[in-house]
Amino acid sequence: MWIYDKKLQYPVKIKTPNANYAKIIISQLGGPDGELAASQRYLHQRYSMPYDKVKGILTDVGTEELAHLEMIAAILYQLTKGLSPEEMKRAGMDIYFVDHTAGLYPIAASGVPFDMKYVGVKGDVIADLNEDLAAEQKARVTYDNILRMVDDPDVRDPIKYLRQRELVHYQRFGDALRIAQDNLDSKNFYAYNPSFDK
Amino acid sequence: MNTSMNNNMANGGAGSLLRRIQAEDFALYEVALYLDAYPTNKKALAFYEEHRARLAELKEEYRQKYGPLTIYDNVGSNEWQWVKGPWPWEREAN
Repeated sequence: MWIYDKKLQYPVKIKTPNANYAKIIISQLGGPDGELAASQRYLHQRYSMPYDKVKGILTDVGTEELAHLEMIAAILYQLTKGLSPEEMKRAGMDIYFVDHTAGLYPIAASGVPFDMKYVGVKGDVIADLNEDLAAEQKARVTYDNILRMVDDPDVRDPIKYLRQRELVHYQRFGDALRIAQDNLDSKNFYAYNPSFDK
Repeated sequence: MNTSMNNNMANGGAGSLLRRIQAEDFALYEVALYLDAYPTNKKALAFYEEHRARLAELKEEYRQKYGPLTIYDNVGSNEWQWVKGPWPWEREAN
């Protein structure tokens, strides 16, 4: 089970609301490589993972992604707090505002609502861990793209922190893949699902 | 319930201690939900205090005897016991 810790993993303190920034950063809430997808990917993959160390990595990284989801939500909340419908409209967020007002609804920057299609769970050690390695890199690229478009240091600071965590998670999934491969049959490295093909 | 209690007896001490932790945890969570809406209710606050202390004792006993329940309470500096199975979703853990 989970316990909620009443603190952010890293502080978010934004002085100036900015709907233009919110409009792109929302992709890390409900987009294809966002934190909601990340958390659900790892926390659902862990059940079919046969190795204890890797179950631990998926549990702990998945849990951290929930903390990142909360940080992104805090960034979006602070970026849109107190904005008038007029200011939302100027940033092109009127099409979001009409359905969700200032509520936080997980969508991609394109407006497409969050979809479980973003979450790969194949039930196969090699397939799932390679999915995870790619996912961490894709999230890192999204944060790089956000940093290319955002100037405010108050926003850049927590985004840079989140970007750094993608790199660390990539390293840990590299460890996980190595642990998994150490347990696999070396003659049948890539085609072997230890849960079925004994 | 009977079946799961029997399995849990078969597991020995870890299983029965875990059952007591789950019961205390549930009692505490239930009163916490109530307190969210009635934060000054004296009776609920007293219930919370009593069960909070009992849960803390049981969790410490579990931690010392069987290992960590969260990543923040690994026991000893020789090994990261956190990754030792069974994990909670496995039958042997219940």
